[in-house]
Amino acid sequence: MKKHWHKLDPTLLERMKSEVQSVFSNLHFYPAKDRVFIRGSFPVIHEGKILDRYSIEIELPRNYPESLPIVREVGGRIPQTADRHINPTGEACLFLPDERWKVCHPGSSLLDFLNGPVRNFFVGQSLVELGQPWPFGEWSHASVGIIEYYAELLGTKDLATILRYLDYLSKPKIKGHWKCPCGSGRRLRNCHFEELKDLRTKVRQDDAQRSRQRLISLTKTLETVGGGE
Amino acid sequence: MNENEYLREILKSQTLAPGSEELKTLQERRAEVEGLLREQFHESSPTIRYGGSKAKGTMIKEAYDLDIISYFPHDDTSAGETLEEIYNNVRDALSTKYYVESKPSSLRLKDADPSNYGVDFHIDVVPGRYTDNSKTDVFLYRSTGEKKRLKTNLDTHIRHIKESGLIEAIQLLKLWRVRNGLRVKHFALELLVIELLKGKRSWVLSRQLKHAWEQLRDNSETISIQDPANPTGNDLSELLNAGIRSELSSVSERTLQIIHDSGWEGVFGPVEENGEDDRGRRIDMLKGAAAGIATPTRPWFLP
Ligand SMILES: [Zn+2]
Ligand SMILES: [Zn+2]
Repeated sequence: MKKHWHKLDPTLLERMKSEVQSVFSNLHFYPAKDRVFIRGSFPVIHEGKILDRYSIEIELPRNYPESLPIVREVGGRIPQTADRHINPTGEACLFLPDERWKVCHPGSSLLDFLNGPVRNFFVGQSLVELGQPWPFGEWSHASVGIIEYYAELLGTKDLATILRYLDYLSKPKIKGHWKCPCGSGRRLRNCHFEELKDLRTKVRQDDAQRSRQRLISLTKTLETVGGGE
Repeated sequence: MNENEYLREILKSQTLAPGSEELKTLQERRAEVEGLLREQFHESSPTIRYGGSKAKGTMIKEAYDLDIISYFPHDDTSAGETLEEIYNNVRDALSTKYYVESKPSSLRLKDADPSNYGVDFHIDVVPGRYTDNSKTDVFLYRSTGEKKRLKTNLDTHIRHIKESGLIEAIQLLKLWRVRNGLRVKHFALELLVIELLKGKRSWVLSRQLKHAWEQLRDNSETISIQDPANPTGNDLSELLNAGIRSELSSVSERTLQIIHDSGWEGVFGPVEENGEDDRGRRIDMLKGAAAGIATPTRPWFLP
């Protein structure tokens, strides 16, 4: 059986710990059997001032950093509702996994993750608690949010086009003689080959696969509903 | 400002002033809970009052736990024949209004309103039955462990804390607990502090705290606590199980290291003003923080 990352290289955990604790002195690391838990209070700091604090627990799963850290607010302060982006098991939906290349790319550290999406999320929560909107907006729930994301990323609202792109993003390889997903009818190599190659370095295959499956089941549901007339 | 002045300032910023919004909210909730229980169990006329940090004077802003005890007369059976029945009936009564989480001897109340679902009120309702007519000792139901009931006495607990002369150390260590995400229960932490600082009540706060952390760092495996209301009868070992002991030990070690390296502010943070929280100013500051974010993200939701 494959060894867990924190046992493969114990110095990695030590380095991560000292890096995180140099900034967040109240976060503590607790290695468990096949994962690592981080617990404590997370301060929302701006210009040296602590604007708020949240009691959090972060779980680094056994296949971290392949799998994203799981963030939970454990102080019982944020409602466990869709509108507050906390699912019923208490997990925070910080961002859409497909956009992890932007905020949690390979090589980025746990400290980057805390200073980036985790901080963004809690700045937003504090504002929402005070009756303000999410500072950068929010994705719609579930599949609709996926469509919104790819519509923005690809510059099209056409679901069929989005699905063709997702199909190519899901594949282990793409070939130049294939038809371009944009719908021009041209071969990929004569159309959006470079753009697609670039996208494939960003969106992970497994994320694309998952999103594609979600959108396919969504369209099936819609067809069933629409076909009932 | 020397370290003890600093600690006093921290304590001051954590005090819930009489008439403060937080206290008013707590009092309203207590009245609500009491009303509900009195209505449901009017035949039993239970004794309902504050327990926990509210009764003991150890409450702090950042971590208030409000216990509301509901003790039934020893010869009353209308609330339930057995302790377990009483516990279940009180839970059912509370469930008509709250999202109730069952804990070993108490019932934690959370918001059941769909828009605030799961928000923790930090209120524990503790059902029990007096052991006799003197209305002093109480039996509590216990859903876990070997013994299905434990004997306790709220007044003994309150006296134990108040007479310890260690209220301030307890308050600061409760703040330390919440700031560091420790899972030790408030009740166990209070007993622990009193045990560790026995004979040290005349020491200044900073020395008391350092001593407590040194003890936790070095002797976490052997320290034991007893329930002052039933020293030999109630087994508290689960409150200090191996996981909790090791958390206490490693965080204590780290805390002492921080004080050594960078001073006390690393532990409790800068002194924050305890003024009226100006809502508009808070919003402005948070918006400023948002405006400075280089890589924005939008939250998503997957049911
Ligand atoms: Zn592991
Ligand atoms: Zn094309």
